[in-house]
This record gives sequence, C-alpha cells and structure tokens, in this order.
Amino acid sequence: MEAAEEVKLEKIAKKQSPWSIARRKLLHNKLAMISLAFLVLVTALAYMAPWVTGYDPGRVDIMSRNLQPGEGHLLGTDSSGRDIWTLLMYGARTSLTIGFVATITVILIATVIGSTAGYFGGWVDSVLMRFTDFVMNFPFLVFVIVLASIFRDAGIWALIIVLSVLSWTGAARVVRSKVMSEKENEYVMAATSIGGTPFKVIRKHILPNVMTTIIVQATLLLAVMIVAETALSFLGFGVPSGTPSWGNMMTEARDPNVIRTQWWVWIPPGLAITFTILSINFIGEGIKDAFNPRSAR
Amino acid sequence: MLIYTLRRILTMIPILFLVSIVVFTLALAMPGDALSGQINPADSSPEYIEEMREELGLNDPVYVQYGRWISDIVQWDFGRSFTHRMDVTELIGTRLPNTILLSVMSLVITYILAFFMGRYAGRNPYTKGDYTIQGVNYLMLAIPSFVAALFAIFIFAFQLGWFPATGSVGSGLETGSLAYWGSKLYHTFLPALVLGMLVTASYTQFLRNDIIESAQKDYVRTARAKGTSENEIYNKHILRNSIIPIVTLFGFDIASIIGGAVIIETIFSYRGIGELLVSSISNRDSAVTMAIFLMLSIATLIGNLLADLLYGIIDPRIRVE
Repeated sequence: MEAAEEVKLEKIAKKQSPWSIARRKLLHNKLAMISLAFLVLVTALAYMAPWVTGYDPGRVDIMSRNLQPGEGHLLGTDSSGRDIWTLLMYGARTSLTIGFVATITVILIATVIGSTAGYFGGWVDSVLMRFTDFVMNFPFLVFVIVLASIFRDAGIWALIIVLSVLSWTGAARVVRSKVMSEKENEYVMAATSIGGTPFKVIRKHILPNVMTTIIVQATLLLAVMIVAETALSFLGFGVPSGTPSWGNMMTEARDPNVIRTQWWVWIPPGLAITFTILSINFIGEGIKDAFNPRSAR
Repeated sequence: MLIYTLRRILTMIPILFLVSIVVFTLALAMPGDALSGQINPADSSPEYIEEMREELGLNDPVYVQYGRWISDIVQWDFGRSFTHRMDVTELIGTRLPNTILLSVMSLVITYILAFFMGRYAGRNPYTKGDYTIQGVNYLMLAIPSFVAALFAIFIFAFQLGWFPATGSVGSGLETGSLAYWGSKLYHTFLPALVLGMLVTASYTQFLRNDIIESAQKDYVRTARAKGTSENEIYNKHILRNSIIPIVTLFGFDIASIIGGAVIIETIFSYRGIGELLVSSISNRDSAVTMAIFLMLSIATLIGNLLADLLYGIIDPRIRVE
C-alpha cells in the first residue's frame, strides 16, 4: 500500500520537471502544433524532392517556357521552362538548409561569446560587449550585401558564413544577461567551490538553465536567416543564380511585366516563404509561452 | 543630461574611426576599383593599365590609400562615379531627398496605423477586433519586405491600377512645380506603405501591451473611482503614458528603414540611396559604394545614439551609469 503510494508520488514528482510541463503546454498549443506540422511537411518535401517530382530542377526546356499552371506542370514553368513545383521543393532545400545551418552557427557563436562575457565579467565582458556593440552598429542588410558581393562566387557556404558572422550580436547579448543573473545563484558557487573549472561550470550547470532562452532565440534567428537568404538572393547577392532557392525563384519578379502577367512564377515562392516564417514565429511563441511559468494552461 | 549626451557623442569618435577602417577594408576587398570602370582592359596594354594604376595611387601601400581617402572625405570629396559621370557628392545629393521623403512618409504611415490599431487593441483586449489586429500583426511580421512589395505592386498597381508600379516621379514634369511634387508623393506612397508596414506590427504590439498594462495601474483605478469617463481615462490618462516609451523606438527605426529602403527602392525602381547602392555594387562603381556604405553606417550609428539619448530623457536612471 505504502509502496504503491510512493510510486505514485514519484510519478507526480517526475511529471513536474520544467521540461515536461513545457512539453505538455506546447502539445496543447494548437497553433504551434499546426505550425510545427507545416514546417515538418515543408522540410520533408524539401529533402525528399527527387522522390516527389519527376522533373530535374536544373534542366532548361525551351519548348515549355512560361507555361501557365495546368496539366504536366502543376504550378506552371518559368522563363527557362523549369517546373515551378519542382523548383519550389528544391528551393526549399537550399533556403531551409541555409536557415538551419546559419542558425546553429549563430547560436554557437552567441553562446560562446555571451556566456564568456556573462560568466567572467570585468574586462573580458567589456571587451566582448564593446565588440558586440560595434558589430551591431552596422546596418545589417547593407553590410551583408557588401560582404556577400565580395564572396559572390564562393557559393552557399560563404553566404552562410557571412550571415552568421553578422547576426550573432543580439543573441549574444541576451545569453550574456541571462548568464549574468544565473551566475549569482548558489549552485554556481557550490560547483565552483568543489573545484569546477569555468568551462565545466558553464557547460554543465549554467547552460542547461539558459537553454530555454537559447531555444527561443534560435527560432527567432531561423526566421531572420531564411528572410535574409531569400532577400539577398532576390537582389542577386545570395545563392548563385543556377541554384534553386526561394529567393532566386523570385528574382524574375524584379521585372514588372513578370509581376503582372506571370504571377505563377513568384506567388508560390512568396507564399512559401511567408507561411514558413509565420509557422516558425508561431512555434517560437509557443515555446516561449510553454517555458513561461506565469502563462496559463 | 548634457554631460551624458556629450559623453555619448565623444565615445562615438573612436567608433567612427573604426567604422571608416572597416568600410575601407571591405571596399578594397570588393571586386572592382577606381580604375576598373575607367578603362576597358581588353583594348589597352598592360603598360598603360600599370601607368594608370600608378597615377591613381592604387599601387601605394594600403595605409597611404586609406589616409588619402579619409582626408578627401573630411574635405567632403567622395570621388567620382564612373557610371553616372559625376561627383559622388552631387550624385548622392540628387538621390538623398527621395530616400528621405520615402522614410518620412513610411514613418508617418507607421505612426498612424500603429496608433489606431494599438489603441483599439489595447482598449478592447481579447475581443474579436483585437484578435484580428493580432492576426494582421503576425502576418506583417512574417511577410518579408520584398514579398510584400511584390504583392503590393501586383494588387494596387496592376489589378486595381491605383498607384504606379515603379519610378519615383512622373516624366515630363517641371522640377519644383506643384504637379511635380504631387507626382512625387503619388509615386512614393506605395513603397512608403510597404516600408511602413514593416515596423507597424512591433509598434502596434508595443502600444497594445502598454495600454493593457497601464489599465491595471493605481492611477487608472483612482481616475475611475473619481468618476472619470472611460474615454477620458483611455485617451488622456493612459495614452499619454503609453505613447512616451514609443518615442525611444524612433532611433532603431532609422536602422530598420535603411535596410528596408535598399530592398524596397530596388523593387520599385525608386531613385533613392538604396537603389543606388545596389546598382553601384552590381556595376562595381566603388567610389559610390564606399560613400553610401559609410553614410548608411554613420546613419545607423546616429540612430542608435538617438535611441540611447531618447531613452535617457525618458528614463533618467539610464543616465547614471
């Protein structure tokens, strides 16, 4: 009888970990779940594109240029006769890959700089934060365009590096302030007093407690990175023009005639970008809400 | 406040110096230099090119080139644009008014939209109207500016025919005449609307949340207890307090407008600074690129400074550091 009670208590106690509360809250958030499903679907289509479509995204077909949506080509074709639906999926692959990789890179840079500055304080903090302010002071998009034009022929990886190098500042500041307040807790002092090295204390004790902040920042950044890539490619400073990407698909719409008469060329990627960003934002809101102890549900 | 302002301005000087070094370094690394546009390498001999390079000082050590560049700039000489065949200062002078007009108009649109939407949503939180505004906000935050611009051109310029799709002014109008200015405003409205919508969502959200928060404060309860009408409470007591923090966002707007203007101007073929930057980079017109890059960086710097100073005025605690 008592043993059963204890098991029950343990179960309740286990259920109450912040992560499981957050997971439960998130699972009950309809908007976030629908968004997550949408994002998973887009990602799946992107990476399984060769099995979903029979067309080759790179093949130019002069015979079927500028076809309206219809039979054979679900969403029509562009000015080189490439199938829009196929380009959309392959483009998603490029845009999402850049988004994911750049976000991970940015989060790594921001976490290292933010936690170092926040944990050590003093001159380390002031040097790092002056540097952060300095990078922050540049107009992001203008700086990215200039940098990207220097590495224009270097391909996708150069673009990812350019985006990452310029966008860690905001997240680094957030991580720093979070680490600063976390460091005042007694468990940090305890960990230091038993001989924990700074690296170990940060990694094992502080970072897990800053994790929720980092995750929320990551969702925000993912949206920013995807928008940055598509905008740059649209302007001609992003992904090389032969590679399908959502931004590259829309470059044709820089010609007003295309906007007017060939709406099927630019509306699909435009909607794809918008709905992807929308779903990422909803997921981010959902996560933020789930980890907020004051929120209802 | 004066000491705080002076201190902030003084700390900008070393930053400006560093910014100029970064701009110069990047411009050196960019494809094309002052020479590349002036001669056609295909039909001139290597000796000639070498001679030209020597003459333009492109073979000097980097720090000499930097010194020459910066001392020219201090004397307000930004070099010559080879694509436009005029001095960069003059060229920017013809473009800057357009960008300023676009920015001011977009800010006005932002303030008007955000004021009414934020006030309504804050006064009627968790109602249908509020949820609609929230939905519009989410959409405005999600849609990238260039996608929004394309949809705006498609709907308002082509489908409805209300506004011109491209350009910054109608042709054949005498500069300075009333028709000229009318045409200018007419051409600027659509790009300004798209640009303004970018920041409207965050303003609206900010105002809404602040009004909701203020509505629970003691001074509101006091006002209500002494029988002040709801209209007066919201329009006089709360709104005055909620508008002030928004002022601080103005500085940050400068930065976001600069980024947005580059994209919006390019799409609308609007003859402003942003469009000039993009075309100069594509044409490898390095003198123009450097000048605009430096100018926009300084503008962003000033925007951030302004944000800090405005914050210092509104929240005196910031000043004591």
